[in-house]
Amino acid sequence: MLGIQSIASYLPKGRVDNLKQADQFDTDREFVEQKIGVSTLPRFEEQDSVVSACASAFEKLCKKENVELAEVECVVLCTQNPDKGGLPHNSALIHGELGLPDDCACFDIGLGCSGYVYGLSVIQSFMAANGMKKGLLFTCDPYSRILNPDDKNTCLLFGDAASVTLISETPRYTLSSAKFSTKGSGSAALQKNEGLLEMNGRAVFNFALQDVPKQIKRVLESAELKAEDIDLFLLHQGSRFMLENTIKRASIPAEKAPIKLNETGNTVSSSIPLLLENEIDKSPETILMSGFGVGLSWATAIYTQVK
Amino acid sequence: MTREEAVKIVMAMLEKNVEGLEMSEDKMGETLENLGVDSLDMMLVVMDAGEAAGVTISDDDAETLDTPDKIVDFIISQ
Repeated sequence: MLGIQSIASYLPKGRVDNLKQADQFDTDREFVEQKIGVSTLPRFEEQDSVVSACASAFEKLCKKENVELAEVECVVLCTQNPDKGGLPHNSALIHGELGLPDDCACFDIGLGCSGYVYGLSVIQSFMAANGMKKGLLFTCDPYSRILNPDDKNTCLLFGDAASVTLISETPRYTLSSAKFSTKGSGSAALQKNEGLLEMNGRAVFNFALQDVPKQIKRVLESAELKAEDIDLFLLHQGSRFMLENTIKRASIPAEKAPIKLNETGNTVSSSIPLLLENEIDKSPETILMSGFGVGLSWATAIYTQVK
Repeated sequence: MTREEAVKIVMAMLEKNVEGLEMSEDKMGETLENLGVDSLDMMLVVMDAGEAAGVTISDDDAETLDTPDKIVDFIISQ
């Protein structure tokens, strides 16, 4: 059975001091640290790109795992801010950069913060349907490319990052159950307008606190599990205040749901993989992941350790 | 819902969500900002008050509710 074998991530070297940003926006530093929960934001520098960041994540993966390039049969990239405007699809550019074989399927997925949970399911299903044994799921969504420099609500929040997850027939974790939801009528809450990101903070907040906990509870119910049965909850790291309250409303034991965005900010589809990379070596038996954002789209999945 | 019940809900939600805030009737006309309620707490208070009172508060309506009294008025008007 296919599943997650290994994971690695990459943070660009560029950094934005979020407290200095807070001063510039005349925003209370304590609010930024305690409520948004972000002190530093990793940012792409001029030389960075989706392809280079993904290649760097892959390089880190190769330090953990012996990945034979000739064996990689599938590359999926989740991004909404690709290089070259997305033409060609950036997974093909990554394919070229890594020197992967011709017999390798490559495609991009255009999802935001729910993208990792979706992407895992998509790549595993696609690989299983086509008899593939080894694939790579990349995430990299540099929102810095679309931030309005005058909009404190988004500038203080988003960081750039990349991740790669190795999917193989010798997994450490396999998918147990998942649910995927969309509320297209609320899509204006997070959208690009004239090239710049617009966010209705209240609408996103209400969505995260009202819809996401319900889905988490439904996934647990359908798997006949309770929150106590899950060892680790990896929730999309939107902002500290939103996360704390989503965790409360989902009746998740707070100690099982790490909040780690102080040094990264909201890295969109990379936020769950960044957490997973930190936690995977602690070998939790069951992991619940929940990603939510642009769309509005939300997805929750339970992964179980292979013994 | 009576005004008294709505006042009780709004005061309870403010005290529950805003650290250190003690509510009293004379503070109901103050702006939330003057009561030390930051923008994120405001969203939570309005959401919790709406849920506790069983009323739906749209994003547009929520934007106009900048005092505890206005939240109360909105709840009893529904």
